[in-house]
Order: sequence, then C-alpha cells, then structure tokens
Amino acid sequence: MKACIIYSSVTGNTYQLAQEVYDTLSASIEDLDYVHVDEIDYDQLLNYDFIAIGTYTWGSGDLPMEMEPLFDWFEEQSPKHLRTAVFGTGDSFYPNFCGAVDLFRDMLYVKTTLTVTLKVELMPQSHDIKKVPTFCDRLMPEPVYS
Amino acid sequence: MSFTDTPLSRIKLLNPTYPNKATGVINGQNSGLLNWNDIAYPQMYDLYQTLLSNFWKAQEINMQDDIKQWDYLTETEKDVFLRINTQLASLDSLQTPTMTQVMDYVTDSSFKAIFAVISQQEAVHNESYSYILSSLVPLAEQNKRFDQAKEDPVVQKRNQLILDHYEAFREEPTPQKLYELAINSINLEGIYFYAGFAFFYHLARQQKMLKTSTMISYIQRDEMQHAYFISQFIRILLTENPELNTDENIQYAYDTIDRAVQLEKEWANYILEDIEGIDLEEFHHYVEYLANKRFRQIGLDNYYPERDNPMAWIHVFSDEMMNETKSDFFEQKSRTYTKVSSSNGFDEL
Repeated sequence: MKACIIYSSVTGNTYQLAQEVYDTLSASIEDLDYVHVDEIDYDQLLNYDFIAIGTYTWGSGDLPMEMEPLFDWFEEQSPKHLRTAVFGTGDSFYPNFCGAVDLFRDMLYVKTTLTVTLKVELMPQSHDIKKVPTFCDRLMPEPVYS
Repeated sequence: MSFTDTPLSRIKLLNPTYPNKATGVINGQNSGLLNWNDIAYPQMYDLYQTLLSNFWKAQEINMQDDIKQWDYLTETEKDVFLRINTQLASLDSLQTPTMTQVMDYVTDSSFKAIFAVISQQEAVHNESYSYILSSLVPLAEQNKRFDQAKEDPVVQKRNQLILDHYEAFREEPTPQKLYELAINSINLEGIYFYAGFAFFYHLARQQKMLKTSTMISYIQRDEMQHAYFISQFIRILLTENPELNTDENIQYAYDTIDRAVQLEKEWANYILEDIEGIDLEEFHHYVEYLANKRFRQIGLDNYYPERDNPMAWIHVFSDEMMNETKSDFFEQKSRTYTKVSSSNGFDEL
C-alpha cells in the first residue's frame, strides 16, 4: 500500500492539519510520502494507491496559485482508480468557506475515486483533530477479507 | 537600553548600498527600492494583489433604496444606525494616519507598500460612512452625531485602549511599542467593528438598508484582510526578533485582546440593548469566538471556550448575493464541475 499526502500552507494552519493526517496515517501505512505541492514528482503520482491533498483557500474561495499544476494534473490524467481525499483550512467569514476544498472536491469526484473531505476553520482545534482518524479511515481502501 | 526599548529610527528614503530585498521587517537593511519579484516574504505579493482586487468606492453604490427605506425605520433603529455609523467612522479615522506612520519605521519596502494600501482603504471606509450619512440626514444632524460619538463615555473608554498605544508609539517608536500597536490594531480591525457589523447585517436580514450593508460587507472584507496582514506582521516581527517573543508579550496579547473583548461586550450591551432580534448573550459568545480566531491567527491558543460560530449571519456577502459582475483580478479556476456533496457517496467531515 503506497500513499501520499500533498499539501500547501501559507499561515501554517493547513500544515498543522497535514501533520495530524500524517501522524495518523503513518501508524497504519508504511509506504507513506509527505510532500509540499512544489516538490511533487509527477512521474510518481500514478504509483500511489491513495492521495490526500491539503490546501488553504485564497481570497473569496480561490485555489492557491501553487495548487493549480496539481489540479491540472488530475484533470489531464483522470486516474479514476486512485482513491483521493481533500482537507483544508479556511475562514468562515468569507463567502465559500474552504472554497479550494470544494473546487478540488467537485473535480476529484469526477476524475478520481473521492472518499472524504475535511474542512477546518483556521488553526485546527481539538474538535477538528478528533475528526482526523475518521478522515484517514475513509481514505483507506476497504479491507478485503479472504 | 535593551533592543526592544531602543527607538527605531525613521528610515531614509533611499539607501543605495543596501539590498532591494529587505533583511528584516524592522531594523533591517533595505535599499528602499521595491521589486516585488525579489522580496523577503513572497506571500506578501499575493496579499497585496488581494487587497487591490478588493478595490471599491462608495459612489459605486446607489443609495436610492436606502433613502426610501430610511423613513420606515423606527426611531430607535435610526438612532442606533447613526450612532454606530459615526463611531465606526471615528475608528477608521484613527487607522488611516497610524498605518502611514508605521510605514516610516518598517524597513521592508513590500510591507510599506501594503501599509500604504491599507491606509488608503481606511480612507475609503471613512468616506463611505460620510456618503451614507449625507444620503440620509442633513449636515447639522451629521455634526451633532459626530459630536455625540466624541463625547460618549462608553465610546471614549473603548477607544482609549487603542489611542493610548497608538500615541505611545508616536511618542517613542520602539520595537516593543510597535508590537503593542499591532496587537491593538487587531483589536480595532478584528474585534471593535463587529457589534456595528452585527447591527447592519441584522437590518439586512430583514431586507432593510441593503445598500448600506453592501458597503459594510465591502468594509468587512477589507478589514479581514487587514487583520490577517497584521497577524502575519506580528508573527514575522516576533520570529525575526526573538527579544520580542517573550512570555510577557504573549501574556500581553492575551490580556489586551481580552480587554478589547470585554469592552466590545460592554459597547454591545449599550448600543444594541433595544434592538430586537439580537441576543446579547449570543453576541458575547460571538465576540469570544471572534477573539479565539484572532488568537489562532497570531499562532496562539484559544483563550475562550471552543465553540462554533454562534452568529453565522455576520458574514461578507458573496459575489452571487451582490450580483457582482466585476470578476476577480486573478485568473480564476473556472468552475466547470457540478457541485457534489456527501449524497454522492463520499463523506464530508
């Protein structure tokens, strides 16, 4: 089982959430990569069984600029077999709270096997952290009993 | 004298021997030339762009609907409307010159540029309150209302917290006082506006004075960016200057923002007392929720009990709501996909 967490953060909020996801996933996944979006090796992406994407939201619900190449990659590749999940932080005072999560969600639903989304207001609080294990559970493939 | 108490010197306009990319937000070396492609904190360019893309002016909004509706407001609503309007105007009046003054002591020219834009936006806000007033009441009444704002003891008490720290920096511009000014700027932009915002959005919920609340929504959108910028500024200031990053200064942030929270509650109790439909206890919780957000923005922990937004209707209008045709300055990702939700077979947590 090979998995990857890809994130981008500007204030550290999404980074902190990504850390939580990493800590939780690393308990059950041995082959787990954890990369900033600027450091993706696109040739390797199709080798993963599942990918979790962490993004903040810019302005009134926009994708951060550095996330665009990744977004485009999914659109072009359409890796329907790939399990994906998207998490992010945002500010509910803006229209389209965590709008970048929604943009990824709608696209990933069409292009991949989207499993779960998670939105957090600014820096994760204890009630947000509690959702991380559920998030990771949903992302992982159903166990196959023989 | 310790570093934190040593006055910053006003910066020479050009220092040709220094690099264009600043070596520090304060006490750094910077030539004074600004090349946005070569700055110490590249995210500041995004922030600058976002601030500019928010540009608006009061005259774009036609007040005719509000002028008609004004006569149908109750006397209490009219009174509170005018008192809040002049009170918010007086806060913005403070912010314009203060931001310009900070520019003189900040070394990084990209930060100077952002302070300049913020100062300009505060001037626009100030004007918009005048524009609203001029549409609704004669000059004599406007002047009376501004005098009322100046003399009101509750307003005075709450502005004093900010004024004391802004004045202290004017008197003696040290790194410590700059830090304190920044925390109080969070109070002004991030806490003090919200009882006023609540009132205008509350009218909007009842389809009253929608042009005014459209302007309030623009103002809130700007203020959120300002509070975000100042919180980033504080984090960078403390990271670059560990002498400022002390337990005492962290405690200062908790104490001072808590003081502003108490003053905002007191003001809300006073100004919103007779407004039906705004539950004051709920508003108190809202202010605490708001302050928790501010603490987390500057990298601190929640100070008040963790809770969800109790007044989610205090919210910037979306472009769809405002039927805004002006598209974003940036190239936006086109929304070519159908909106999906958990009913499509995945989970939304």
